[in-house]
Amino acid sequence: MSVASIPPPTPPCWVVDLNAPPVSKPKSTAIPDPPGFPVALSGKKQNSSSSKSPATTTTRIAPTTEEMDVLKLKKAWEVALAPVKQLPMTAIMMYMSGNSLQIFSIMMVVMAFKNPVMGLVATNQAFEKFESEGTREKLWQVKGVYVLMQLLALALGVWKVNGMGLLPTTRSDWLAWETARDPLEFAIPAF
Amino acid sequence: MRPPKSLLCLALSILPTAVLAVFADEAGVVDYHYELLGLPKPDTTFFYRPRKEDKASLLYTLSDLGVVGAVNPGTGVPVWRQVLSSGSDSLSNGLLRGVDGDGVVVSALGKTVSAWDAISGRLKWQSKFSGQVRDLEVMESAIVSAEAKDVLALYEDGNKGILRRLTGNGGDLKWEFTDEASGVPFQISTSPKDVFVISLHAAGAGYNLKVTTLDPVTGKKVDEYTLSSKSDIFDIEDILLVGASSAAPILAWTDQAKQEVKVNILGKKAVQNLALREADGKLTKVTLHAPHLPQSQPHFLVFSQSASANRADVYHVDLKSNAITKAYELPKVGGTGTISTSSQDGNVFFTRMTQDEAILVSSASHGVLGRWPLKIDESHGSLLHAASEVVTRSTNLFAVRSAVATSNEDWVMIRNGAESWTRVEGLSGAIVADWAELPGEEQLAATLKAEAQTNPLASYLHRWQRHIQELEYLPAYLTELPKRVMSSIIPVESVTSDELVRDNFGFHKMVIVATQRGRLYGLNAGNRGKVVWSAKAYDIPDDSKWDVKGIWVDNVKGLVNVRGASGEYVLVKALTGQIIEKTSPGSWPPVTSSVVIDSASGKWFLPIGVDGNPGDIPSAWAPKDVLVVQGSNGEVRGLKYMEDGANSVPTAAWTFQPTGEKIINVVAKPAHDPVASIGRVLGDRTVLYKYLNPNTILVTAISETGSSLSMYLLDSVSGDILYSTSHSGVDTKQPITSILTENWFAYSMFGDSAPGTAEDALPLSKGYQLVVTELFESELANDRGPLGSLSNTSSLEPLDIPNAEPAIPHAVSQTFLIPEAISHMSVSETKQGITTRQLLCTLPTTNSIIGILYHIINPRRPVGRDPTPAEMEEGLFRYTPFIDFDPKMILTHKLNVIGIKGVITSPALLESTSLVFAYGIDIFGTRVVPSMAFDILGKGFNRLNLVATVLALQVGVMVLAPMVRRKQINGRWMTS
Repeated sequence: MSVASIPPPTPPCWVVDLNAPPVSKPKSTAIPDPPGFPVALSGKKQNSSSSKSPATTTTRIAPTTEEMDVLKLKKAWEVALAPVKQLPMTAIMMYMSGNSLQIFSIMMVVMAFKNPVMGLVATNQAFEKFESEGTREKLWQVKGVYVLMQLLALALGVWKVNGMGLLPTTRSDWLAWETARDPLEFAIPAF
Repeated sequence: MRPPKSLLCLALSILPTAVLAVFADEAGVVDYHYELLGLPKPDTTFFYRPRKEDKASLLYTLSDLGVVGAVNPGTGVPVWRQVLSSGSDSLSNGLLRGVDGDGVVVSALGKTVSAWDAISGRLKWQSKFSGQVRDLEVMESAIVSAEAKDVLALYEDGNKGILRRLTGNGGDLKWEFTDEASGVPFQISTSPKDVFVISLHAAGAGYNLKVTTLDPVTGKKVDEYTLSSKSDIFDIEDILLVGASSAAPILAWTDQAKQEVKVNILGKKAVQNLALREADGKLTKVTLHAPHLPQSQPHFLVFSQSASANRADVYHVDLKSNAITKAYELPKVGGTGTISTSSQDGNVFFTRMTQDEAILVSSASHGVLGRWPLKIDESHGSLLHAASEVVTRSTNLFAVRSAVATSNEDWVMIRNGAESWTRVEGLSGAIVADWAELPGEEQLAATLKAEAQTNPLASYLHRWQRHIQELEYLPAYLTELPKRVMSSIIPVESVTSDELVRDNFGFHKMVIVATQRGRLYGLNAGNRGKVVWSAKAYDIPDDSKWDVKGIWVDNVKGLVNVRGASGEYVLVKALTGQIIEKTSPGSWPPVTSSVVIDSASGKWFLPIGVDGNPGDIPSAWAPKDVLVVQGSNGEVRGLKYMEDGANSVPTAAWTFQPTGEKIINVVAKPAHDPVASIGRVLGDRTVLYKYLNPNTILVTAISETGSSLSMYLLDSVSGDILYSTSHSGVDTKQPITSILTENWFAYSMFGDSAPGTAEDALPLSKGYQLVVTELFESELANDRGPLGSLSNTSSLEPLDIPNAEPAIPHAVSQTFLIPEAISHMSVSETKQGITTRQLLCTLPTTNSIIGILYHIINPRRPVGRDPTPAEMEEGLFRYTPFIDFDPKMILTHKLNVIGIKGVITSPALLESTSLVFAYGIDIFGTRVVPSMAFDILGKGFNRLNLVATVLALQVGVMVLAPMVRRKQINGRWMTS
């Protein structure tokens, strides 16, 4: 009886672990997934979860193309306006670094020119992922603003260089190219 | 975080003055100085013991330039020097006597008698009287007293001779004796009991000699007698000697035929005739040598010279019978020679130097005490006169040293026949100087130019050929290489070699100097002014000076062209001094100045005749430009050559003569006056354009009646006045000097300084002033003035509008007070004019030359307020009326450079550096770097350190490279 009543031995711990590996869950499992959260789980997990509670899985409605376009456009605007958000910070740093030629201010100036120029060169690349049939038309506007913003950042650099006196804007910068007037007559002093 | 800007600017403005000074390790290396005295004269050169108890003696001289000096006879270095300023008097009749035992030498020149401390050269006393000093003698008293010995000075005042006895300790007048009878006072002689005054009285064509005997204590006349010498003496030069201060003073002269010497023992009326013997032909010169000390034996020597030989006779005077007997004679020797006398206690020694030996005899007997072969350099020429000192080592061992003046104007110390030192005294009294380039790698430049002009293939082949030919220099180059490498690692002194080759820095140049004695010298400025050659151009009489009116070095042909006032000119090779061509004075018309003309037929040296008239010139040689000359009344004239047939005739284009004023000086810009930047950049980055008209001259005029000074800046093509200013209350007797360069001019004078309105201004006072004026095209920044953007300019028709006014510059002027007079101004020259200019001023009172940086005398320094930050950025600092001549600015540092007449400058190949050469009595040369030596490594640069650092880095790399490589490989292959 005792023998019969003995339940089958529980499998060793490691077997249990092997069969049911711990689900890598976020710490607070209580928070449900947001609606439309794509359940992208491994095949094993999918199996286990589907076996556990297939009812809880809400089928996410794929967004429509229009919605996608609106979203993409929003993202594109964010990208386009990103350079201008850094500007106040850059401006303060430039102001603080002074107009003297030092390694710090030189680096600042180099960055102030490098970033906008690189940004301008990579304009199309930056918006490539937002490109679609629907957004193509509207992206032009966004790109224009992006270019403007980059130019604004560039202008800040130019302002800085001007402050450092590196722009040849004054008469003295072109003095070396000016020549003295040639006299048409000459006198020979003989006294 | 940032240092206060004002502090920074202040530091920057002070920095150049604080650092720009002559560095201690450069003094005496970069600069060179000939401490000269002038040619010693026979009667004012002697050995003298400045300390009675000390045996050491110094060599004293009063030269033909009026310089009194003491020279260390061992080294030939002057111990002290003093310039006797004589004003208009002839410098050649100065007198110098040593006061025996007092340590004082007494000099007389013109009106002045001065006593100098023999050791230090300090002035003990000085007395001035009316008239001219003719003779000077120290009063030897029979009684030995502690008081300083008195001095007798014979003055000529009008036709009277006045003898004055001056006290030895203060120069005060003790008594004076006036010889009322008209006559030429000649000399004084003293004996222990009497004072004799010898004067010349005209008798027919000749002169009789009158001897007046005076009582030394009271100055009253005791006796007088006249010696009939009218058939013999026609000139002061005919009198041989008035034996001074010996036991038996004598008066000696020769007859005109030089057959006999007539001797009178002063105080005795008898004249004794001593026959002269001919020495290989007629005697040309007879001199008499006698000791000067009272205790010396009364012996004298008559030295007879003919053109080819010389001989000497020694005579003794018997003090009791007053008979003169011949003791012995020194035999005839060919060539020229000198005799010098030295006395030692009672003994008198004569040193005779002939062309190949020096002998020493005593006056007592004919036995030769010492005989030495004479070994002196042939370049000195023949011996003219000497001063000797004899030292008795033991009873029969003597040593003699003689300071000999030679015919090539050297002063040579001969010690026992051997040359001890030489002083190039002929170099003193320089009147003009010019730079000469050394021959350099012009050949290569010419080849390169030729290659550039042919077709590419041919020039390429030619270049290959040239390089293959150059391989022959490769072994020499390779052997030289270690030396070159070492010299670039271990800093060596700048190469000073005797070789006359250019160096990489352009420091090696020649300076050609012409002296007032008619001699030319070539100095190597690269080798500390060493004399390379000297050549006698003309024999100038002692009482006149060679008046040189122009020197021009033709660097293409390597010739020096010197023109004198009497129309003479001499052509000399710049490197060797060989005289190519020479004309005698008077063979051409007189010359007032000369100028280098660049005509269609080449460059040549045009003499300007009297009244600024250059005369007619063949058209091919005529200058196409306006010639600016000065007329005989000082007026400035612009001359234009007009073609008239085959010749061109000068016609006056304009004449400038301010009414009621006399033009005393005209200066033009230096011939080499490059300007790198045509504007001055202000602190706010705007530009003030410089007024850069090459055709400007600065005229200095003083009023004929009052005491005012006017400065006129003229356009030398049109004669228009561009700027003028005048100062009142100017002492026109004081030096007024001016300089014009770049776009500014400066002048200095002694005059009133007007009271200013600013609160820190000075009250009305007199003083030396330096006025600096800077000229700009317009007073507005960024404006090119009335001419606007025209690319060329004409002085005659400045604008397209007919009869337009000339473009007048905007002048900014400022006056500074300076502590002393400036006798000459010059400005540093650099190759491209990037370096700021430095004003080089000669200071005659402190015997120095100062270099003033332009930023100190910048007329745009803000007055009465502190500079704005923009002005500070420009380097301007607040105006202060007084410029202190900081000793750091003195280019001559501790040297005493006397009698400077002119300073010339020349650019080196290094832009930072300008070569400076000053001449006059002394010669001084240096290099200046007004904007610091920015293009050459200084001496402080540690080349060894640099090389060591590079080597250490090399070693580090060699050690680290395998380690890094191993680590990188391991990084790839080993996982943990």
